[in-house]
Parts: sequence; structure tokens; C-alpha cells
Amino acid sequence: MPKTQEKARLLETRRVAEDTHRIALYAPRITATARPGQFVMVRITSEGTDPLLNRPFSFHRIHKDDGLFEILFRVVGRGTWLLSQRKEGETLEVIGPLGNFFTLPPAHEETVALVAGGIGIAPMEEWGHRLAQWARGDEARRVYLFYGARTASEVVPTRRLERKGVTTFISTDDGTLGRCGTALDLLDQTCRDLSIRPQRLYSCGPLAMQAAVATWARQQNLPAVMSLESVMACGIGACLGCALPAVPPDDSSRIHYVHVCKEGPVFDSRKILWEKMEPMPVRPLSFVCS
Amino acid sequence: MGKDGTHARSAPELRVQLGPLSLKNPVLTASGTFGYGQEFSDFLDLARLGAVVVKGISLEPRPGNPPPRVTETPAGMLNAIGLENVGVERFLAEKLPSLRRRNATVIVNILGNSEQEYAALAERLEDAEGIAALEVNISCPNVKEGGIAFGTDPKTAARVTEAVRQKTHRPLIVKLSPNVTDIGLIARAVEAAGADIISCINTVSGMAVDVFSRRPKLANVLGGLSGPAIKPVALRCVYQVVHAVSCPVIGIGGIQTALDALEFLLVGASAVQVGTANLVRPTAAVEVLDGLERFLRHQGLASVQEYIGTLDTTCRLPQAEEACAGDG
Ligand SMILES: Cc1cc2nc3c(=O)[nH]c(=O)nc-3n(C[C@H](O)[C@H](O)[C@H](O)COP(=O)(O)OP(=O)(O)OC[C@H]3O[C@@H](n4cnc5c(N)ncnc54)[C@H](O)[C@@H]3O)c2cc1C
Ligand SMILES: Cc1cc2nc3c(=O)[nH]c(=O)nc-3n(C[C@H](O)[C@H](O)[C@H](O)COP(=O)(O)O)c2cc1C
Ligand code: FES
Repeated sequence: MPKTQEKARLLETRRVAEDTHRIALYAPRITATARPGQFVMVRITSEGTDPLLNRPFSFHRIHKDDGLFEILFRVVGRGTWLLSQRKEGETLEVIGPLGNFFTLPPAHEETVALVAGGIGIAPMEEWGHRLAQWARGDEARRVYLFYGARTASEVVPTRRLERKGVTTFISTDDGTLGRCGTALDLLDQTCRDLSIRPQRLYSCGPLAMQAAVATWARQQNLPAVMSLESVMACGIGACLGCALPAVPPDDSSRIHYVHVCKEGPVFDSRKILWEKMEPMPVRPLSFVCS
Repeated sequence: MGKDGTHARSAPELRVQLGPLSLKNPVLTASGTFGYGQEFSDFLDLARLGAVVVKGISLEPRPGNPPPRVTETPAGMLNAIGLENVGVERFLAEKLPSLRRRNATVIVNILGNSEQEYAALAERLEDAEGIAALEVNISCPNVKEGGIAFGTDPKTAARVTEAVRQKTHRPLIVKLSPNVTDIGLIARAVEAAGADIISCINTVSGMAVDVFSRRPKLANVLGGLSGPAIKPVALRCVYQVVHAVSCPVIGIGGIQTALDALEFLLVGASAVQVGTANLVRPTAAVEVLDGLERFLRHQGLASVQEYIGTLDTTCRLPQAEEACAGDG
């Protein structure tokens, strides 16, 4: 799958929840080979050097027939804030498709669960969509989504997935919508209450949640497939900046790193050294953009 | 158009001769910003580049530093990759053949923790086919026990150069660090020790912190600054080195466009390396090359050589004798 640098036309921009925006980009060459779980690097400014580096975003929706894809992003800093100010009709330079992708469950598995925390919902929409198609191939197959957000205003609508047959449960940290608690609380409780037995998890969200989901999956003896983040400079495997601590292939104790843009962003949670992971600093928005 | 209003008829000559090293054009990619070349083959034809300088290679593979390894800064970035690389054996078995298949001119950047390691690397690479030159990184500020000591002292810099010189017949480039008090002094020392070419600069030592978490932004705390932010520092270093030595110089630091590259050629660099810009625009190096050619046509110059080192620094106004070098 060749990587492409493409001038994408910004077709539509929409605020879909608090500080959360969805933009549609017409980029037929990138779209042609895009797969769920992969990402693009977006050049925030076409002129100048601020911000200098491109920003990574997952494919949120892929519309092959129309040559366009959508990204969903949360404003967390200067780059995402500037991106939220871009207008329809403008062009954005985009590089993609990058990284590896989600793959369908093995033949014997019937029940899978998507787990999303906050903006971690972004890649789950396209992947949920594909899994819904997968489920339609067999009566016994089930796809669940467990989606946790901080508060009701930050919840991105999930109607599209529900309509496709993905059974969706929602929680908020403050209880303003759905169950009160984290995405993991939601997953754990709902599976018990309704006797749901997922055979595989697909998860995306902040580090703390991913680590907790990894532990839960290990306890349940389930594979957990995770879309992970790291700070990136290039997104194409050139700078080696996006390393995460990982279990070495030979299971020895030597230091080993995987690169999110190359070997990832999709990883088997058992391959990651969670205790060595450093959380991404979060800055209060009021100090970032005005 | 030329000064006399004419256009150069044929394509300007881009070939440059750097001592023993002949390059089809003066635009190279900088070590560590272009992977092993293959990462960019979807975006550009590697054979078009003056040369590909590969990620620094050591005798043994290195895992690199813990993350976070990179962070953005105004008009630049800090990195503390920790010289992660596949090691010389895998480089020779996997990376070099792939570069050769793509007809790239390859310059191998090497690093080590002792003179012996540098020498052993040069020796190991001596018989491999398809290497145009070696570039010795004596300047990387990232690895605690290595790099830094060699590049900051004229004596150790010379010793490493000598150690490599004794083991290689290939054109020998020594890459200097800007994190020194007198870069001209180091340049003279490595030239005397047998360097054919000097490249500069490596990254500028720097730091970034997060005021909310009260943590450094790099796990390594310190990192190397690169990108447009360092261009004036790089230009100053190249200027000083050009005046300190008689061997050719390769300019590196903050080059994003052809005009940036031309600034380095103007102060006397015979070639340039494009670094951080590759990470932002994978096609950056060929865009610099195309822009360079366009500029030469526009200026009516028949060759890039005619432009190199033509900076006019004569003072047009009388100057007080004790005026110092323009720092306020
Ligand atoms: C593979 C991948 C896919 C992603 N997909 C999405 C998505 O679909 N939607 C979305 O909202 N966000 C996504 N992110 C996170 C997004 O890239 C960051 O939120 C964004 O880069 C922040 O930029 P900023 O300038 O607003 O923040 P700043 O804090 O100003 O950024 C400063 C630097 O830190 C980096 N950085 C900061 N936060 C993150 C982060 N969480 N992850 C990676 N780098 C970060 C930036 O790239 C930049 O280099 C993804 C990250 C990765 C690695
Ligand atoms: C991510 C990264 C990795 C680098 N790795 C190396 C390296 O392995 N060896 C080396 O000699 N220089 C290395 N450098 C330095 C560059 O080759 C170059 O000297 C420096 O970045 C300045 O040029 P620039 O401003 O165009 O990037 C690295 C730079 C960056 C940004
Ligand atoms: S971001 Fe540069 S190697 Fe992954």
C-alpha cells in the first residue's frame, strides 16, 4: 500500500460535541487504500513553521466511493485548535494511509467488544462499521461498543453505529449520561449484568484506560487489540521518535521498543510494557488557545 | 534571468566535487531524518538525491532512549532518540542492498563509544560495495556515555578522525557539533587528522519542560534542537568553519527550501543536507533540488559551483576598529 502526500480539500467541518470536531477531506488517492485503524498526518499550516510538525489522526470514516474520509478530533492544544478553525473549501496537506490496521477476528470468534474512551471513539466508528458487516455474515455474531466519556456534552453521537447493529453502551465519569463510571467500569458491569462474553476486545482511549483494559483482558484471558498513541514527528518510520516500551520478540529482559507509526498504531496489548509507559501531559485548554 | 538579462540555455550543472567525493548534485538528506531511505521511496526517487545519509550506525544494534523522544518547539523540534539503530550487520544485510536497488548514492553515518568502535566500524564497512563516503558523528549530544566527549574537544575529535582515517580509503566526512566554544578550532583539528570533508551542524543542545505536570518533555531531559529555529546558528557555524579550513564543507541546519539551501552555499558550503524538513514533507529534499535548479536558471548561472562561496562581506561604511562581531 503506497503512502501518498496529497492536497486534500476540506469538504465539511462540523462541531459534533464539546471541543470535538469532525472534518471531511476529499483525498481520493489516500482514501483508495485506507483501512480502519490506520491514520494520516495532517499539516496544520500550509505556510510558515508554526506549528512545524504534522499531527496524527485516525481514519474516523472512510467513504471509498466518494474518495473522501473523515477525521474526528478533540481540541487539546495549539495544533488541534488551529485545525478546528479551518474552513470548508480550504486545502490541507495530508500524508497517508499510515501504520497498520485492525484485522477481523479469527473464524471461531463470534462476540467482540469495542471499548472507547473519550476521543478514542474516533477510529472505532469505521472499525465498528466493518465489524457490523462481519456480523451480518453470521447469525451468531455480535458486536458491542462500550464508550466512556468525561461528561454528557463530550459524548459523540453513536447513532450511525447503532443503526448498523452495534449494540452500544455509554458511560460518563460524572454520570450525566448513561452509567456513571469509566469505560472499563461500563464494560465490566455490563458484561456481568447481561452475561455478555466477548472473545476479543478492540480498544482505543487514553493511556490509563488502555492500561486498565489490558489488565482486565489479561484477567479474563482475552486478546485485546489496541490502537495506541505516542508523540510523533514524521509518522512514516523515519525519525524513530514514536517509540513505546514493549516485550522483546524473544521474551528476554532486554530493552525493546516498538514504533507506533510503523509497527502500530494497532498492537496486541500483551506486547506492551504497560508499567513503563509515560502518560501524555494534559494542558488545561484555557491556557492553550484563545 | 541573469544580471545581464539572459537565461542560461542548457540545464545548469549541479554536479559538485567535494575533495575526493563527486556528487551529482549538492542536495543530501541528513542522518536520522531520512531513516534508511526506503521509508521515503513511496514519495520520491532516491536516485535523484546528491546522496542519502543514513541513520547513524553502531557496531551493535541500539534500542534507543525511553519515550517521549521528540517534542515540538517554536519553529523546531527537540529529539533524544538515543541513536537507536539496527547495527552494522543488519545494515549491511538489509538496508544497504535496498538502497542500492534504488540506485541511491549512500553515505553511511557512523557512531561509537570509543575510538576502537569507530575504527572497527570503518573497517567493517570498508569492503562493502555501494558506499560513497563515511560520515563520522562525533557530535550527537544524546547518548550519555558517548558522542559528546569526542566532538567537544579538539584532541579527542582528532583522535577519532585519525582512527577512522587509518581504516578507510573512502571519502571521510566528519560531522561537527555546534555545542562548542570555537567550532573553527575543532574543524582545524579534524582536518589535520585526515578528514576530507566537514559537515555541520548536528543538533543544538536544548530542553523543554511542562509547567503543569512539572516534568521534562523528553524522558532524557535534554535533547537536540533542529529545524528552522537553528538555521542562523548553523549558518554562522558553516561560515566560521569555511574560514577555518581548506577542505570542503557540507551545510546542515534548518533547511526547508531551496532559498535556505542557497544561503549555505552562499557562505561557502559545497553541499547541503536537508534534515527535519523531511519529517514534515517527505518530498522536501527533491523540492529543494528543483528549487535550486530554478534559481540557477533565474540567475543565469551555468553551474552551482559559480554560486558557492560568493558572499560579499565587504563593509561599505567605515567601521570603528574595536567593533565586535555584531552581538549588539
Ligand atoms: C496514531 C494516532 C492517531 C490519533 N488519532 C487521533 C484522532 O483520531 N483524534 C484525535 O483527536 N486525536 C488523535 N490523536 C492524538 C492527536 O494527534 C493529538 O491530540 C494532537 O497531535 C495534539 O496536537 P496539538 O497541537 O493540539 O497539541 P499540543 O499539545 O500542542 O501538541 C504538542 C505536541 O505533542 C503531540 N501530542 C500531544 N498530544 C498528543 C497525543 N495525545 N497523541 C500524540 N501526540 C500528541 C503533538 O503531536 C505535538 O507534537 C492520535 C494520535 C496518534 C499517535
Ligand atoms: C530525529 C533526528 C534524529 C537524528 N539522528 C542523527 C544521527 O543518528 N546521526 C547524526 O549525525 N545526526 C542526527 N541528527 C541530526 C541531523 O542529521 C541534523 O544534523 C540536524 O537535525 C540539523 O539539521 P535540520 O535542522 O535540517 O534537521 C538527527 C536529527 C533528528 C531531528
Ligand atoms: S513518528 Fe517518526 S518514526 Fe514514528
